Amino acid sequence: MIAALNGAVDDISKAMKLHRVWIALAHEDIGDQHRRTTLGPLWLLVNYVAFVGTFVFVFQPAGKDAAGYSAYVAIGLLVWFYLMEVMSTSVALFQREESFIEGTTLPLFVYVMRLGLQSVIRAGYAIAGCIAILIVSGSPVTFPWLWSLAGLLLILFVTPALTTVFAFLGAFFPDSQFIVGNLLRVGMFFTPVFWMNNGQDPIQKYAYEWNPFTYFLEIVRLPIINGEFPVHAFIVTIIASLLTWAIALLLLGRYRKQVVFLI
Amino acid sequence: MVSIKLDSVSLVYKLHEKLTLSAPDRRVSGPGGRIESSGRKQFVQALDGVSFELKAGDRLGLVGPNGAGKTTLLKVLYGIYEPTEGSIAIEGKVDALFNINIGFRREATGRRNIVLRGLISGWTEAEIEEKMEDIIAFSELGDFIDLPFKSYSQGMAARLAFSAATALDPEILLMDEWIGAGDASFQDKAKRRMDELAEKAGIIVLASHNESLIQSVCTKKLTLKSGRIESLTTEPPKRMGSAAKR
Repeated sequence: MIAALNGAVDDISKAMKLHRVWIALAHEDIGDQHRRTTLGPLWLLVNYVAFVGTFVFVFQPAGKDAAGYSAYVAIGLLVWFYLMEVMSTSVALFQREESFIEGTTLPLFVYVMRLGLQSVIRAGYAIAGCIAILIVSGSPVTFPWLWSLAGLLLILFVTPALTTVFAFLGAFFPDSQFIVGNLLRVGMFFTPVFWMNNGQDPIQKYAYEWNPFTYFLEIVRLPIINGEFPVHAFIVTIIASLLTWAIALLLLGRYRKQVVFLI
Repeated sequence: MVSIKLDSVSLVYKLHEKLTLSAPDRRVSGPGGRIESSGRKQFVQALDGVSFELKAGDRLGLVGPNGAGKTTLLKVLYGIYEPTEGSIAIEGKVDALFNINIGFRREATGRRNIVLRGLISGWTEAEIEEKMEDIIAFSELGDFIDLPFKSYSQGMAARLAFSAATALDPEILLMDEWIGAGDASFQDKAKRRMDELAEKAGIIVLASHNESLIQSVCTKKLTLKSGRIESLTTEPPKRMGSAAKR
């Protein structure tokens, strides 16, 4: 196990030294995805705002809850879309990078960071939209916003680990890209992205409390919505993040040289 | 001192039966080799007890039928495959030309692609800057260098790929098959570049089915069959001439 961890750390440190490679490739990826379009990557912002607008229009509750619902959905969709994109694109990561993996000696973590940075750049446009919605919907910029920022940083911290775990899952179990895709689509309804837990509905209560994604959403959302520091959500998220990293390091250390035979 | 030493290197990998719902014959992936069974498990013996030693100035030609292990051996030397048995000791900076198109992006300009290619090959920004004009001049692409890669003809793309791939002088150069780039005049230029590389590089290992090419470039010839060394001979290279043309 120690050898596996050393191998993983070695792979990661080599990838970090090659940061210019994954930064350049991630920027090219984003540029390619939007080349020849009039709005370019601004489409990411338009998509996000359109989604939030639709959810608010359809699901906004009547009465006193109405005011905060835009902020609730805006933050919920921001975090959920980010996590969903990270997981669904990671499953086929090694297959997509096949020619690189079979033709170069770049560390595997280079591909993880390339994809991670892509997701972060894309999320950047959604964050701009989210802040605009929060301000327009009347959420005052207060000190607890810093706790939300800490929550975002925690999500950023777990991103490479999440990518690594899902990439290995996809390498060993190719069908998982469809299974994960389907589960994530369904998962949106079992995660408090656009619905609020009122504690009355037992299924809703169960989905809220036992779904780890709830806490990833709440560490960003609760400080802004309620002005509080969500201790419980932070503890759960930190533990989940560390566990994910532990699994990622073991997979990377143990199987990084096997990937070339699997893809 | 540039050197390569392989001692009883073997590469065996298990045929991973991927957990997939597809038909059994689509489950297997990986390089070629000899398939062996042990109980219900299947293994591929891609290399079997390969030992040899190369020193500065050696040019080794790898020959053998398809699936003999030539590419696998090159990839083991490069570090893509980790041997399951035996040891490898390599002194010197290794570079490889397996897939010259790797890392090229259709939408980016030729110039930008040179930068990306350099970064992927581990060059520093200063090295990329230093080699940029040489690469452009050698590729003879002129003003096309600032147009997107997708606007290049196949020959132009190959010229750029070859020019970039051979721009930095490696100490150990691994090549899989000869690289046929561009038209006849560029082919000659490319051959001269390869000759220069062969002179400068401490060690060259070249896998090819082209016997006359091996004879004209290499000082040693290693014949592989089913992952084993069938013969290893030393012979002075014949002069490069028309025989080396594909």
